[in-house]
Amino acid sequence: MENYEEVDILIVEDNPNDAEMTLRALKKNKLANSVMVLDDGEKALDFIFSKGRFQERKKTVRPKIILLDLKLPKVGGLEVLKELKQNPQTQIIPVVILTSSKEEADLIESYRLGVNSYIVKPVDFNKFVEAVRELGYYWLLLNEQPK
Amino acid sequence: MEDLHGKEIVVMKGDNAEEFIRRENITDKIYTTNTFEEAFTRLAEGYYDAIIVQKITGIQLLKQMKIKTIKPLDFRLPRFRQDYCFAVQKGNEPLLSRLNEGLSIVIANDTFEEIRLKWFGPSETKQVSTGQIIKIILIILLPVSIVLILLWIIFLRREVKRRTNSLQQEIWEHKQTLNALHIHQSQLKESEARIRLLLNSTAEGIYGIDQDGNCSLINKSALQILGFENRNQVVGKNIHNLIHHTRADGSPYPAESCNIFKTFKNGEKIHNSDEVFWRTDGTSFSTEYFSYPIIEDEKVTGAVVAFWDISERKKGEMELLKLKNELEAKVALRTKELQEKVVKLDKSQKAMLFMVEDLSNITVELKKERKKLEFSNKELEAFAYSVSHDLRAPLRAINGYSNFLLEDYAKLLDDEGKRFINTIRENATKMDQLISDMLNLSRVSRASLNLSEVNMASIVKSIYNETANEKEKKQFEFCLNEIPDAVCDYSLIKQVWQNLISNALKYSSKSAEKKIEIGAEKSNNEVIYYIKDKGAGFDSKYENKLFGVFQRLHKSSEFKGTGVGLAIVQRIVVRHEGRIWAESEVDKGAVFFFSLPDK
Repeated sequence: MENYEEVDILIVEDNPNDAEMTLRALKKNKLANSVMVLDDGEKALDFIFSKGRFQERKKTVRPKIILLDLKLPKVGGLEVLKELKQNPQTQIIPVVILTSSKEEADLIESYRLGVNSYIVKPVDFNKFVEAVRELGYYWLLLNEQPK
Repeated sequence: MEDLHGKEIVVMKGDNAEEFIRRENITDKIYTTNTFEEAFTRLAEGYYDAIIVQKITGIQLLKQMKIKTIKPLDFRLPRFRQDYCFAVQKGNEPLLSRLNEGLSIVIANDTFEEIRLKWFGPSETKQVSTGQIIKIILIILLPVSIVLILLWIIFLRREVKRRTNSLQQEIWEHKQTLNALHIHQSQLKESEARIRLLLNSTAEGIYGIDQDGNCSLINKSALQILGFENRNQVVGKNIHNLIHHTRADGSPYPAESCNIFKTFKNGEKIHNSDEVFWRTDGTSFSTEYFSYPIIEDEKVTGAVVAFWDISERKKGEMELLKLKNELEAKVALRTKELQEKVVKLDKSQKAMLFMVEDLSNITVELKKERKKLEFSNKELEAFAYSVSHDLRAPLRAINGYSNFLLEDYAKLLDDEGKRFINTIRENATKMDQLISDMLNLSRVSRASLNLSEVNMASIVKSIYNETANEKEKKQFEFCLNEIPDAVCDYSLIKQVWQNLISNALKYSSKSAEKKIEIGAEKSNNEVIYYIKDKGAGFDSKYENKLFGVFQRLHKSSEFKGTGVGLAIVQRIVVRHEGRIWAESEVDKGAVFFFSLPDK
């Protein structure tokens, strides 16, 4: 995955098992064309704003969707969300929170910061696949973003 | 008669005169003669001093014997009998009647006196009697005396008139005086009666004393009080000795030192109320008396004493005094008690101050503890978060990778291997359910209440529609009665209905009759909501276990569940200051009630 400009889906997830399961769910729904997985919030912000190791990347090319876990090392998911939604260049990127718990405080804060969707990862993998399919269809296929 | 005493008197023997002088004892020198002539002769010769004979006899004899030296004295000797009468021979009545006739003629023609004077008159008269003298007297004196008498009569008549007038005047004046006296007398009687009435109608005893200390008057009340029966027992007697002789302490009370004594001796007014008077029966009573002097012509003539029996009053005073003393004693006692209490209070106050100090120390500690608690609460929240987040990730991995195994290596596994993997997946799912229920329970307990007016009917309807699947909706008779709105936390109350309705559906799934009835009743300050089903019900002896966490009255194989739902419902109701209970019989359905305050 050297060509960062072609990333359609950005997954920010520190748990490799969860990341793998997400990828598998995407694959099962035939959505895993160009997926990028990053395991902490700092890397995610570097990638999006073309900083650090991703400074070569063209800022103008944006991922079509970002799947963001809340509990992340270094920079937390909510902080990443805040940065994204405060920046006019990035605020139009759809961000879906994928998290383990339906903690009300997190939920409210996420919506306040402008999250586009909020999914509690179900333990039952089949239900997870279903949920991923639904959001993939909506955000990747149906939802037309402004260029 | 006195002249004859001691004189030599001669009488004729056997004559009345002899008997007279001897009887009367006129003299002891009595001489007798045989005849009157002899007696006169002897007297004329100078013997003897006097002769006593009857007048006629004497005068006749003097005339016959012509004796002029003897003077007859013309007076009657008392008790010397000189009775004259006619005496005739027996049987010579014609002579007697002739004599009586002659006498009556003499008396009738007034010659009797002449005759009598001739015979019995004094000898002087006979001697002096001269008709001329009488004539002169008659001629001169008679007219003069008549004139004088007339003048005298006129004078007398005038005098009589004058005297009569003055007498009448005097009589009139006397009458006036008499009337005035009568009026005075009746007024006096009246005022005396009034005074007596006044005296006797007063309740106080009143008595008067003269200057000697003797009782001069006493009224009824005084008699009664002192025990006397009548006034005579007191009046005129020394009243001090009767009623005032001894002092209250029993020592003698001499009259000289008596207060009342001062009144009638010195005119002092006395008021006294601490002495005793003595009754007739020997008992005494406390008295109050006023002693007033009676003053006449600026001199004290006695005293009036008014007195009362004040033994009742004294008794009252004594009782009052006793009460007062008792009260004082009590007050002293109470004061002492109070002082002790004050001392104790002071001590208590000090103790309190120490306690307050301790309390503030404790408060400080409590604050510290609270901070610690808040900290641990935050830790708990963090714990809950990590539980929900971190515990689930492995479960998800277990479930997910089991799924991968089944999908990717299905050919390498026989049916038993596949069953094992499925059991792993099911248990991971169940564990996930337990974790989420636990988290929910803790969230219900921790979350703050957001109270608002909630439309209960619409919540119930929407929850039933969400919870019941299509099949259930067809099977069940859902009966929603009119239920009032409530002031409560919207999301929490939703969980209550959600749990209760899903329970009703779940436990009715195996029953023939499928009916859910929801309603409410208003009672004292609360609204009681109920949900009734015809399902499996429960044994009422386990009712207390119904709302316990992880408590189940049915096997998992019969009805699925974690045993947290009703625990959550109970916590939510209690947090709303309501109550929750249930009634049921096995296989006859159940009714769950919960109340919310009627606000």
